[in-house]
Amino acid sequence: MRAEWLFASIIFLGACGSTPKPVDPPRLKAALEAESDGAKRYRRGDYVVAERRFADAMRQFASIDDSIGSTRNRLHLARTHLAQGRAEAALDLLGAVSEDAAGDIDALLLRSQALLALAHRSQAELVLATAERSCAAKCPQLPSLKILQARAALADGRAAEARGFAETAITLLGEKDQSAEAANAWRLTAAARLAAGDAAGGLTSAHAALDIDRRLALPEKIARDWLLIGDLHRHAMRNQVPGAAGEAAAAYSRALDVAHAAGLAEITPLAKQALLDLGDGKIPVK
Amino acid sequence: MSLLTQYDADARSVRRATRRFLLIAVLLALALIAAIFVRQGLLRQTVSFSFVADSAQDIAKGQAVRIAGFRVGAVTEVSLRDDGSVAVNLEVDADHARFVTHDARIELRKEGLVGSPTLEIVPGPDKTRLASAQARLAFSRADGLGALANQVRDEFIPILKDIKAITGALADPQKGLPGTLAQIRASSEALNTLLANGNRQVDGIGGTAIRVLGKAEEDLKHLGQTMEAVNQRLPGMLDRTQQVLNHVEKITAEAETSVPPVLRDGSAVAADVREIVSGARQTWPISSMVDAPGPSTLKPDSDPRGEAGRAR
Repeated sequence: MRAEWLFASIIFLGACGSTPKPVDPPRLKAALEAESDGAKRYRRGDYVVAERRFADAMRQFASIDDSIGSTRNRLHLARTHLAQGRAEAALDLLGAVSEDAAGDIDALLLRSQALLALAHRSQAELVLATAERSCAAKCPQLPSLKILQARAALADGRAAEARGFAETAITLLGEKDQSAEAANAWRLTAAARLAAGDAAGGLTSAHAALDIDRRLALPEKIARDWLLIGDLHRHAMRNQVPGAAGEAAAAYSRALDVAHAAGLAEITPLAKQALLDLGDGKIPVK
Repeated sequence: MSLLTQYDADARSVRRATRRFLLIAVLLALALIAAIFVRQGLLRQTVSFSFVADSAQDIAKGQAVRIAGFRVGAVTEVSLRDDGSVAVNLEVDADHARFVTHDARIELRKEGLVGSPTLEIVPGPDKTRLASAQARLAFSRADGLGALANQVRDEFIPILKDIKAITGALADPQKGLPGTLAQIRASSEALNTLLANGNRQVDGIGGTAIRVLGKAEEDLKHLGQTMEAVNQRLPGMLDRTQQVLNHVEKITAEAETSVPPVLRDGSAVAADVREIVSGARQTWPISSMVDAPGPSTLKPDSDPRGEAGRAR
């Protein structure tokens, strides 16, 4: 009983001591709550429900003629589509955003991301160039821009340039709390090194990416990190590195286990095929 | 003078006593007569009916008339008509005349096979209309001992004739029992010969049959063992299956009634909770302590699926 009185008193005194807060209109509040709920679910990896909540929020903001809120949720929705591998749907959404807010770097970065996912490399580079012009020296999206530039360069076969972009991103991210982007940068560094034939250096970067992705508990990224590590070991087999084949097989097996456990239908056949290729003695040529 | 006065007083007293005695005697006599009238039924109301019989046998004046075994009246007159038939009048208590329907009939019955005869009024099937006073009812006699004896005799005579014919046929030396026995004897001799031949043939195939039967017995033993195992296990399995099915049926029945309300309740409870929480958050002082949701930002992730590392 005394504890209840104490609790009530704390609430009462705390309320009296604080300044009254402005109250949002109910419809705006509902839209903000839908957006907030969607963001929470996105962080948890529940992309299906997050997509629904962002779509609700986008519609609610549009119904109260709040174009900023509507655009913001359109971007959230596009990100959710990308996370689920639906790059075309994301691109459709982002097309409308680009017309509304051509200078919005976030929109441009997401658009380039969708284009890269669809292997439209040249278009992606054009969009990235536009974004680069819009991004000042200390623009907060600069690390992401560098990562996407690295992705575009790597896709174009410019491994050294890609590694440069990725390492710049790692440097820029050192000051920020953006673990997912840091893992992306490390992964790209590893891939660029692999493309350049530096398997040993690539392994270090790949394990750095894997460590971060494990901390973030992102199954798809972990599985892909293991695939990349397997590729790096398999590449080392060409240099007669002892135990490389076993390491490669172990890495592919880990990727397969994670894919099985997480139900990643896209990665499972990749891991299986990698193991089969390894068994057939297919060593990648230069 | 005083003596005469005394005499007059005594005489008046005797006269008064005599008058009182005579009055009481008259009253008692009247009561006795009334009781006799009542007892004899002279004061009760009756309804008269009649019937015609072919004979006056077992019918007499004063004979009881009954309905369902209860005495309800009596025969008042038995007379011979011009055509030789017998006219019988009877009276039934008015109280019981309601049982005498227009299609009622009178049966002459005997109590047991040899008891005294009584007239029984048997009401007809149509109970909607009663017989009018002086109505003539139908009459019939129930079968007595003589009728029964005649019936038995009629039944027995054909049977006796049949027995006579059968015994005659059995006694016939050619077609009867002696001839049949002779034929049976001849047939049995032929059958013995046939069996002897059969035995010889069966002996020939007996060895083969024994081997086949031995094999069949062996197979049957195996089958028996299998069936025993099945018999031992099947009831348990069936019981368990039945139990499982019963459980499933029970659960399904319960779910059918409980799940939809639970779902509805759950939805309602969720809505209520949402409303309560929302209301609480808007209520001072809690509202001042809870931050309203603002625009959300997602941490940047240029490669949400990690595709850039391999095959891109």
